[in-house]
Amino acid sequence: MNMTATGQAGGMWSVGTRTIVYGAVGAALYAAAGYYSFFAQVPGTEGVYLRPAYGILTFFGFAFGPVVGFATGFIGNALADTLTGSGPIASWWWSVANGLAGLLAGVLAFRWLGSGNASLRAVVSVTATVAATAIGFLFIWIELVIQPELGSDVILWGEYVPAVVSNSLFGAILTPILVLAWEPLSARMGR
Amino acid sequence: MRASFQYLGRGSWLARRDPRTKLLVALFFVIGVVQLRDARHLAIALALALGYYATAGIPFRRVRLQWLYLSVTIVLIAGLNTIITGGRAGGFIEADLHVLFTLPVLGSPITAEAISLSVSQTLRFLAIVAVSLPIAYAVAPGDFAVALRRLGIPDRGAFLVDLTIRFLPTLVNEFAETIDAQRVRGYDPLARRGGVITRIRRLAPIFVPVTIGAIADAEDTIDAMDLRAFGIGRRTWHRELRYHSTDWLLMAGGAAFLVAAGVLAITGSSPHYLLPFLIGE
Repeated sequence: MNMTATGQAGGMWSVGTRTIVYGAVGAALYAAAGYYSFFAQVPGTEGVYLRPAYGILTFFGFAFGPVVGFATGFIGNALADTLTGSGPIASWWWSVANGLAGLLAGVLAFRWLGSGNASLRAVVSVTATVAATAIGFLFIWIELVIQPELGSDVILWGEYVPAVVSNSLFGAILTPILVLAWEPLSARMGR
Repeated sequence: MRASFQYLGRGSWLARRDPRTKLLVALFFVIGVVQLRDARHLAIALALALGYYATAGIPFRRVRLQWLYLSVTIVLIAGLNTIITGGRAGGFIEADLHVLFTLPVLGSPITAEAISLSVSQTLRFLAIVAVSLPIAYAVAPGDFAVALRRLGIPDRGAFLVDLTIRFLPTLVNEFAETIDAQRVRGYDPLARRGGVITRIRRLAPIFVPVTIGAIADAEDTIDAMDLRAFGIGRRTWHRELRYHSTDWLLMAGGAAFLVAAGVLAITGSSPHYLLPFLIGE
């Protein structure tokens, strides 16, 4: 039995009660964990912060589907920004990028996961996390329009690369741990 | 700083406005201000934003650290941008760059154009923050969902936001209790020793129990919503919102700013501005 996004009743884009509640739990967890695990700004970057809680975002996308993943990233990041200083819309493009990464983690889980053992799913979760992060965070290139003072070199080396590398690292470590912890419980709960 | 929404602007002039007004004004302003390039126009936008922020009545002593942190961050970001771009962004022509001095160790030329760009970037970001913070502090937390619904967001999306805001304080407490429980056992998950990977792995004993516990507890919420037939028919909201004339005036102001910024951008009247005193003019 598959316990991740592929097992969701009604397909991966359905929005039922479960999607809404898991999306809300994911967003609140991502914001709260971001607050507690807010390491520091990556030296030499354009305001890229180390947020180990990123593993929670990709886990929710991976385990509960793209809609939950998007809600976790988009709303969770806006809330985390509010808690740590700049308000919910000051860096809205980062919230969208986080949301897209969560959404893609859910889509990739749906596409890549078939039946398989827990170890295989853990490996897939790492791959999906890295791929979703690399693709989802391409959205921050919209800054070429929003903040034209930043050149493409600054966005690439000062934002995109540090964000993708650090988030991939956090996601690759924490997502499989959460997947392996959740799956036995999920099986017992019949989800 | 407590990790939950704080209604710091309670009772202020802005807090008494309809929550939809605050969301729409911020939206209009952000869309408008990103179209401006000229530092003089951005300075006017910042002045307007700070005036708007002042009406939220947010006690400065409660957000002093936040503003200090933001200001330092913005200045650092803009400073770094100055070094990396050297003014070769924003439409300035490389051949015309005015080199003011060269950084001793890095050897990076600091140009008048780069400093001008950084000033524009700082002004814009501060202006956006000034209109963004009242959303966090001058909107009653319970009003977010109904405001989003009345703005056309579907019931399910609005309810998702509502639930998130309700869950946040509980989960923050869960994290705090779990960290304390681990420390009582002699395990400090937030210890600042070791490399990055070690520090991330050290967080697992907090993240795993809180995350899995929150998901398991969510089942009760799901059952309660299902028992009340959530999502079967059209949802009604107890809280009623009504625009007043002041709301319309505020929104008209926001829309006027958006239109003015759009016209300036379309006609090319707000290009990047080279601060004249930097080149001795």
